Amino acid sequence: MEWDSSNSDLSGDEEGGFLLNDGGPLPFPVDSLLQPAPCGFVVSDALEPDHPIIYVNSVFEIITGYRAEEVLGRNCRFLQCRGPYAKRRHPLVDSTVVSEIRRFLEDGIEFKGELLNFTKDGTPLMNRLRMTPIYGDDEVITHIIGIQFFTEVDLDLGPLPGSTTHGTVKSSDPFRSSLLSFRLTPDGTRSPSRGLCRILQLSDEVICLKILSRLTPRDIASVGSVCRRFYEVVKNEDLWRMVCQNAWGSETTRVLETVPGAKRLGWGRLARELTTLEAAAWRKVTVGGAVEPSRCNFSACAVGNRVVLFGGEGVNMQPMNDTFVLDLNSSKPEWQHVKVGSPPPGRWGHTLSCVNGSNLVVFGGCGTQGLLNDVFLLDLDAKHPTWREISGLAPPLPRSWHSSCTLDGTKLIVSGGCADSGVLLSDTFLLDLSMEKPIWREIPVTWTPPSRLGHTLSVYGGRKILMFGGLAKSGPLRFRSSDVFTMDLSEDEPCWRSVTGSGMPGAGNPGGIGPPPRLDHVAVSLPGGRILVFGGSVAGLHSASQLYILDPTEEKPTWRILNVPGRPPRFAWGHSTCVVGGTRAIVLGGQTGEEWMLSELHELSLASSVI
Amino acid sequence: MTSSKTIVLRSSDGATFEVDEAVALHSLMIKHRIETGGADSTTIDVPEVTGNTLSKVIEYCKKHVEAPNSDDLKSFDTDFVKVDQAVLCHLAKASYYMNIKGLLDLSSKTIADMFKGKTVEQIRETFHIKNDFTPEEEEELRKENSWNLFV
Repeated sequence: MEWDSSNSDLSGDEEGGFLLNDGGPLPFPVDSLLQPAPCGFVVSDALEPDHPIIYVNSVFEIITGYRAEEVLGRNCRFLQCRGPYAKRRHPLVDSTVVSEIRRFLEDGIEFKGELLNFTKDGTPLMNRLRMTPIYGDDEVITHIIGIQFFTEVDLDLGPLPGSTTHGTVKSSDPFRSSLLSFRLTPDGTRSPSRGLCRILQLSDEVICLKILSRLTPRDIASVGSVCRRFYEVVKNEDLWRMVCQNAWGSETTRVLETVPGAKRLGWGRLARELTTLEAAAWRKVTVGGAVEPSRCNFSACAVGNRVVLFGGEGVNMQPMNDTFVLDLNSSKPEWQHVKVGSPPPGRWGHTLSCVNGSNLVVFGGCGTQGLLNDVFLLDLDAKHPTWREISGLAPPLPRSWHSSCTLDGTKLIVSGGCADSGVLLSDTFLLDLSMEKPIWREIPVTWTPPSRLGHTLSVYGGRKILMFGGLAKSGPLRFRSSDVFTMDLSEDEPCWRSVTGSGMPGAGNPGGIGPPPRLDHVAVSLPGGRILVFGGSVAGLHSASQLYILDPTEEKPTWRILNVPGRPPRFAWGHSTCVVGGTRAIVLGGQTGEEWMLSELHELSLASSVI
Repeated sequence: MTSSKTIVLRSSDGATFEVDEAVALHSLMIKHRIETGGADSTTIDVPEVTGNTLSKVIEYCKKHVEAPNSDDLKSFDTDFVKVDQAVLCHLAKASYYMNIKGLLDLSSKTIADMFKGKTVEQIRETFHIKNDFTPEEEEELRKENSWNLFV
């Protein structure tokens, strides 16, 4: 680094622009002294015995580890001692340079040179030093300005005597490290520290499988731009698959893999599109076949790339119990009635969820004889699909318009809903369908959100659930809600919390522009923990087709609006929307009341399709 | 206790370390060598690892073999990887070669944490990596890898 000799003329009466501790400004332009790089800057009082320090700048503090109050009043030779307790100059410090400094200052000449110094924790640094005497009015030196440019030195000095930490441990302070590694190239541009690159000495296998696989998809994208080696390493589809699985969970990646290979984007592309949502779009899908007799208030659920529909309310308000399947993998998807053995009693306002791979579970709803709380299971891939009743002990109260979700792919969770005589519920029950004999278990909590129906439960972050909206009880009244509550089922004693993490009831909803209050809406869990909300019965004149997105894992969860090309459906209902293949939200078109169009579906695709 | 048989491990630069057999067996590569090697092989060469690194690896194995259930194991691990980058990379390389899963995971995770949330430039600075792309390639990459979220 070249010292600019034109800066050596320091006399002059321009205002310095900074104040000393005693309040008086220095009579010279300080700024021009500072090279365009972070330097330590020290001012000593030359009129006092042994030239005590009267000012140090923050770069000096950060790099040396000594705070101003620790060094003011001392001569700055303490930097030649290793650590704060040493009394003598370290033997590796070149004493001829020290003598030279003394001579130059006595003669009133500026000194430029290099000297070994030490930080407070004993780290050796090379101090490229410039010491300049400042003259007062009558040719007497009043101050000495020291400018230090510190660089790392590769010296193994062993541990600092009397300390428990290793003396050569590099500071874990990232600010200090980046200050130390800041260098100027001859043409004045920045270049990265010329330390030896160690990480590229590791094998591809260690880099890929052990290090990069732990990063988020976004970090991997940055890594790929760092150098040629990383660019090649990051092309590995297996790496992306691991990264996706770590970021989104194995359940989500399993679902994404159900899309046949030919139609599937590579994991790298999928990671990008599902993170940025840049390819999200609405489109219309026309399918054949028919769901007859026509009905409303059925439930639909996705099993891989198939949409399954069960039950519903017929034109004469009769509860129905037939099962239909639509295979969206086929080149000409069409609704097909599934011949099943022993169908459950007909119902509407029930929930249909996918568990254990290709199984469907029905719970609750309103049948011919009133509200139900039975559980029926169907293996769609069995040779002769048959509905089987699961008689669980101590089932929840019979109900309709409750919400459900599947945890770990094996556990059914139901919550809230409307019980007999119109009472709204606020309980949460879990049924583990991976067990031989599943048992209902209520999740005991000390506080629940206000009871409600028509809300949604979404699973995110592995074993957490998010409840949104619904028609909620408020005293003797009921209002559409836009509240968000979460529960972490991996805790020993799970409890409902507001999404901001506060345990206090009503304490915090997410910031941002939230969706207007609603019930019977759609909530889709996106990979990575975000929740997408749209549709439903919305209060006021708001459009139900606006998409809202929330990331409950953020430090300050905030609602955001997602603008997506294509024409959305005018109406979308939670119990008739499902997500196939992890990336396509299929809305089985609803009109208000009347016949529901099931031959023209709206699809919100989150990633591009390969065709 | 059973016989405390010792094994001598020899690093690439000739440094030798005498360790309890149980500690040495924490390395699956050494375990394999002992099981398939000659009858009385009590000296095992570890030519991929220098003395400095081998000494640290042994320190890790000792702690994990002798006190695997101790309460301070976690803080031992945390402090163990508070070393500079060069040592960390040497530990990752050595634990991969010597097949010591716990140490490989620990060192890899620590290195991975140094990537998190960093920009391309910051990654280069941290790991002293030279940018070997042409300006045209960099421009292409910038477009390809700048993921703009929908906000």
